Amino acid sequence: MITTSSKLFYGLGAGSLVASIVWFIANDGGSIGSVALLFAAMSLVFLGAIASFTRDGHVLSTDTASHASSGAAQRGVRNSIWPLGTAIAMGFVVVGLISSPGIFKVGIGLLIAMLGEWMIQNWSERGSSDAAYNTKIRDYVVHPLELPVGGALLLAVIVLSFSRIMLSLSHSAGPLVFAVAGAVILAFGTLVGFRRSVSTRVIGAICGVALTALAGVGVATALDGERPELTKAAEEDHFAHRPCGEEEEEADENASQSVSAKSSVQATVILEGGMLYAEVDGFEGAQQSITLQRSNPSTILFINRDAEPHRMVVKYGKVVEDLGGGVERETELEACTSKVEQDGQQAVTLTVPKPSYASEEPFEITVPGVEGTKIDLVVP
Amino acid sequence: MNKSPRRRIMAAVGLMAGLVFLAGCAKDAPQDTWQPAGPNAEQIDNLQQPVFLVAGIVGIIVFLAVAFVVIRYRDRGQSIPEQTHGKPALEVTLTVIPVLILIGVAIPTAGTIFDLAKTDDTEMVINVTGQQWWWEYDYPSTGANAESYGVVDPIVTSGQLVIPENTKVLLRVTSRDVIHSYWIPKLNGKKDGVPGRVHLLRLEGSKPGIYAGQCTEFCGLSHAYMRMETVVLNRADFDAWVANQLKPYESPAEGTLAAEGESLFIQQCSRCHQVNGLTNADGAPIIAAPEQYMVSGAAPNLTHLMTRNTFAGAAWDLLTPECRDDVWNANTEEFGARYLAGVSAECLNQKDLREWLRNAPEKKPMYADPTKLQATDGKYRGMPALGLTEDQIDALVAYLLERK
Repeated sequence: MITTSSKLFYGLGAGSLVASIVWFIANDGGSIGSVALLFAAMSLVFLGAIASFTRDGHVLSTDTASHASSGAAQRGVRNSIWPLGTAIAMGFVVVGLISSPGIFKVGIGLLIAMLGEWMIQNWSERGSSDAAYNTKIRDYVVHPLELPVGGALLLAVIVLSFSRIMLSLSHSAGPLVFAVAGAVILAFGTLVGFRRSVSTRVIGAICGVALTALAGVGVATALDGERPELTKAAEEDHFAHRPCGEEEEEADENASQSVSAKSSVQATVILEGGMLYAEVDGFEGAQQSITLQRSNPSTILFINRDAEPHRMVVKYGKVVEDLGGGVERETELEACTSKVEQDGQQAVTLTVPKPSYASEEPFEITVPGVEGTKIDLVVP
Repeated sequence: MNKSPRRRIMAAVGLMAGLVFLAGCAKDAPQDTWQPAGPNAEQIDNLQQPVFLVAGIVGIIVFLAVAFVVIRYRDRGQSIPEQTHGKPALEVTLTVIPVLILIGVAIPTAGTIFDLAKTDDTEMVINVTGQQWWWEYDYPSTGANAESYGVVDPIVTSGQLVIPENTKVLLRVTSRDVIHSYWIPKLNGKKDGVPGRVHLLRLEGSKPGIYAGQCTEFCGLSHAYMRMETVVLNRADFDAWVANQLKPYESPAEGTLAAEGESLFIQQCSRCHQVNGLTNADGAPIIAAPEQYMVSGAAPNLTHLMTRNTFAGAAWDLLTPECRDDVWNANTEEFGARYLAGVSAECLNQKDLREWLRNAPEKKPMYADPTKLQATDGKYRGMPALGLTEDQIDALVAYLLERK
């Protein structure tokens, strides 16, 4: 017998089967999507068969005595918020479709969650004629999902709010707020620990107020934006070194804020007293030569100890591109720091494609304006 | 006689535990951390022996206590005993004792960590670069390397790291692609090779020999095939090895099979593999361009391939099992001479080398299917199948045999 609900499953199963075939043809025999859809079809048909076998859980129409007491005849044990949730999720989906993929994805996630909750509630409310039992089976099914997801969302709200607050506070205020917040939480925990008789409602209310306040301040600070230096760093690509161009007249006061790796570098090149030298881990004393591996991203840190601002220039050969039609383009390979003021430092990361012995021109590190001193770059 | 399921499970667990225990008795265990062969590994061993002892005693006490409680107070239908809370003296004792034990372990541990991080006594520096799925070693020709060890030009090799005996070698470990980890258990602990960073690892061998290791950071499909060996030579043998590595290239004699192999190498292999000194018809040096074909931008330098005992990320031996045993089991006096003899025609492991040349990805998985390289912009992660004929393989093997 094809019952009402089994029609749904059979229909979805047939649709999945067709989708599987279409997928297979459209993707030149691509198998993973087809197999997934085929399994979905089999599962849905199986569910349909169960629904048919149990006649959707209905009692026989001739068994009139059971009509009033059957599970399907029971009223819902609680008001359902899921239709409203589904409508809101649909709203997200529609808005996302015309505005942003992110909102669309959130909408799809919400829609699945709302429909799932709605379906489970409807199912559970017709599980038996005992409302308490129905609530219990609903909780059995849904709590293993609801509780961890709810916990994760709560954690996300706390982490996001706190991170927005910290990003908007000044350098000096950040640690202070962090310390005070930590101390307050510790004090509250200690207080609760000592006064075991305090009601869980009171604790819950205090935590609720704190969470609301945290989320509120988080939203406010997110709208206000990050502190000015972070905004500037983002605009300036975190003060990364740029391609070598005309040397600036002024030193880049932000050069030393570069977030390039400043530890575990291949070498540190120092300009001091008109001389350029390198410090390389493992080699004793000042070095006039650095060995870099070929095709390896290598970071070199430049420190300017000279009173005048300077920049470091690394020259490491050239590449010849075949532009077609017998035309070639030759590009000098070089990397530069910004102009760094006294005691400032900036790192450059470069990947040398060819060995130095293959180049007619030497690979070297120099500082424009400081003559007679250089560091050789050896790439074996 | 039928055994109960419980007894069968107990028997299976006992058997497994016995096998694990017996595995500890293996004699042919080249990666055994309990057999240090250098001062750095000895320091670790000197630390781990007492720590294992302490941990073992604590473990046995805890195990016995748990077993006693489980057996003595098991459920036999008795009523639940009176529940009590708090026993300050016992709690303080059980806190203080572990704290004291941990302090006792922490003091020598911290000392060992600082000792192993020392670099100011370095006598030789070698750059170690990991990539999927092999290690490259280059010896910079500066500082003490040049002045004390004759490395007047950079040396680039792979698979086997060669170091002089009783010398404090500092490895500068990095990576060209993903995170790898360098580990020669008998010589020191592990050190990660991280792209863009240089990590330092001390290495010192106190006895000539070969010490095996394995990449210990999962790094992709062929991680298990990313092996390495460190060869320790006495000073005279190391000097001979350096001199050989700096020897100029010699072309095979004209008209020989090896000369055919050289032409083939130039056509097929030199796109990625560098052989220093190899020139084209105009006499211009041939510079390999692995950066155009490989994700890592590198392929092993094969200039002196047959001075090594391994190939393909040290996953296979270049020597036949008998010749390999001759080298590995040589006594201290004879080891250097046997290692420096390299790979002869009689000792060459033709089977594995030919299989590799015939179809490398079949031997070592390397995502080398040319139809599936969209994600890497057409670049390979390992050697692709070159479709060589058997004649071409003969010629290449003959050519490679002369790379000493």
